[in-house]
Amino acid sequence: METPVPESPDGEPPGGYTPPPHQPLIWGLLGTVALLVVAGTTMRLAQNPDAPRPANVLRALPDDGKATLADEPEMDDEYDPCSDCHEDEETNFTVREMDEEHDELEFKHGTTWCLDCHDIEDRDYLHLAGGTKVDFDDTSTLCGQCHGAKIPDWKAGIHGKRTGHWRGDKTYQPCISCHDPHVPGFEPVKPEAPPERPTLIGAEDHHAPEAAEVDAPEKGAGDE
Amino acid sequence: MSSDSKRASRREFFKVLGAGAATAAVTAPTAALGFDLDTFFQKHFRRMDDDELQAVIERKAAEYAKTYGKEFTVKATPAYEDVLFGYGLDISRCIGCRRCVHACVEENNQSRDPEIQWIRVLEFERESAIRGIDLEAGNPYYDPETVPQKDKFYMPIACMQCEDSPCTNVCPTGATWRSNDGIVVIDYDWCIGCRYCMAACPYGARHFNWKEPTLPADEVNTNIHLLGNAPRKKGVVEKCHWCIHRTREGKYPACLEACPVGARKFGNLLDPDSEIRQIMATKRTFVLKSELGTNPKFFYFFGGAER
Repeated sequence: METPVPESPDGEPPGGYTPPPHQPLIWGLLGTVALLVVAGTTMRLAQNPDAPRPANVLRALPDDGKATLADEPEMDDEYDPCSDCHEDEETNFTVREMDEEHDELEFKHGTTWCLDCHDIEDRDYLHLAGGTKVDFDDTSTLCGQCHGAKIPDWKAGIHGKRTGHWRGDKTYQPCISCHDPHVPGFEPVKPEAPPERPTLIGAEDHHAPEAAEVDAPEKGAGDE
Repeated sequence: MSSDSKRASRREFFKVLGAGAATAAVTAPTAALGFDLDTFFQKHFRRMDDDELQAVIERKAAEYAKTYGKEFTVKATPAYEDVLFGYGLDISRCIGCRRCVHACVEENNQSRDPEIQWIRVLEFERESAIRGIDLEAGNPYYDPETVPQKDKFYMPIACMQCEDSPCTNVCPTGATWRSNDGIVVIDYDWCIGCRYCMAACPYGARHFNWKEPTLPADEVNTNIHLLGNAPRKKGVVEKCHWCIHRTREGKYPACLEACPVGARKFGNLLDPDSEIRQIMATKRTFVLKSELGTNPKFFYFFGGAER
């Protein structure tokens, strides 16, 4: 679309390039300022583990008095609380195989490792990427920072498991009820017994493999 | 029983009936007939008024108590007025463990021998899904050490509770019908065992009691609905009824609660906030054999598993 070019005050002929009266510069400046503010906030968070904690992403359940969030599974007594052992230990920041302590723990969770989730300063807490501390009974908030796309599905009841009533009291399962945080993928399980193959009823032993595998009535049952 | 003795007992019946007309046989015909007259003349479930229904409930409770030596809660809970049930199954998550199959058997008093199972989990080759799902190629008898197998996927199938249900259309006695909340039910006392419905069902969801069902007293579920998990007898058809004794009281079906991966979803299709409606609004869903126009209320969906 053509816009009429105003004649310039110094008498240049129309048709020469006139910069549009706005704005890229202003937006650019504003954007930079905004970026600085965001970065600043993030850095402040990173530097201040005691900053107000975000609300548990899963706790925002429907406000009808019928929804309950199931308790998160208890930690193994042997490890609880972490600070019992870690209080006096010096932190080794090197990403490594845990072959001395915790070598019994299987770990299959992408490229993450211990200190991505476990707090360094205060061992009895977890922490978000920005450093904000998270309680051990609030792990779903931590899961949500990487697996955010699952949260809306979980809230809508599409992802995850609910028990109780479709109409009435229902219990929502938090992430780690089903997913072991260290090995979040489901381990294969033994299937329950397969169905029996249909056989001739009335055969001596209807489990016998040689019995005819057809779904047929007892001979003569239809006669009358 | 030979056909001769059947004929004899039928003659016996008319004889007693004739005598009864004269001598008010209604008072004690049971012994002579070998069966209960109230049972014989029991009205169709939908024709009974409240008193008649209550009488049937009490009679059944007494019968079951005698058979199984346990107190039964016999119910005929009607449908909620504002509810149309829908079921969702996340086919990207099912691992084929059959927990649902066996939870269903226990909940719904299926015969243990001969074995009747309402849910059938089919195993398919993963590659074959590219060409569409060929139900005939599904294997219900898979039994590996562990599931899921890498190159397979699993699809549980039971009654689809069709809106245009071929099974109810062909029933000659009206013993099976689609109720207002969408559950296709069976009045086991009116089923004559003709099995037309089994032939009509495109999903193989209906099962027939070829033999007297075996149900050990210590395994029987005593919380029963007349149109649902009430113990059946030889010669009647049965099938999944979405745990009518639970769902008509607001509870989830037993298979859903048994699922270890949360693949099963259930709720009210008329409530936009229900789980099933959320699934239909945001996920890819499909029904089995949609080309038949049966309009199932059982929806498979892809929840987006990361694997």
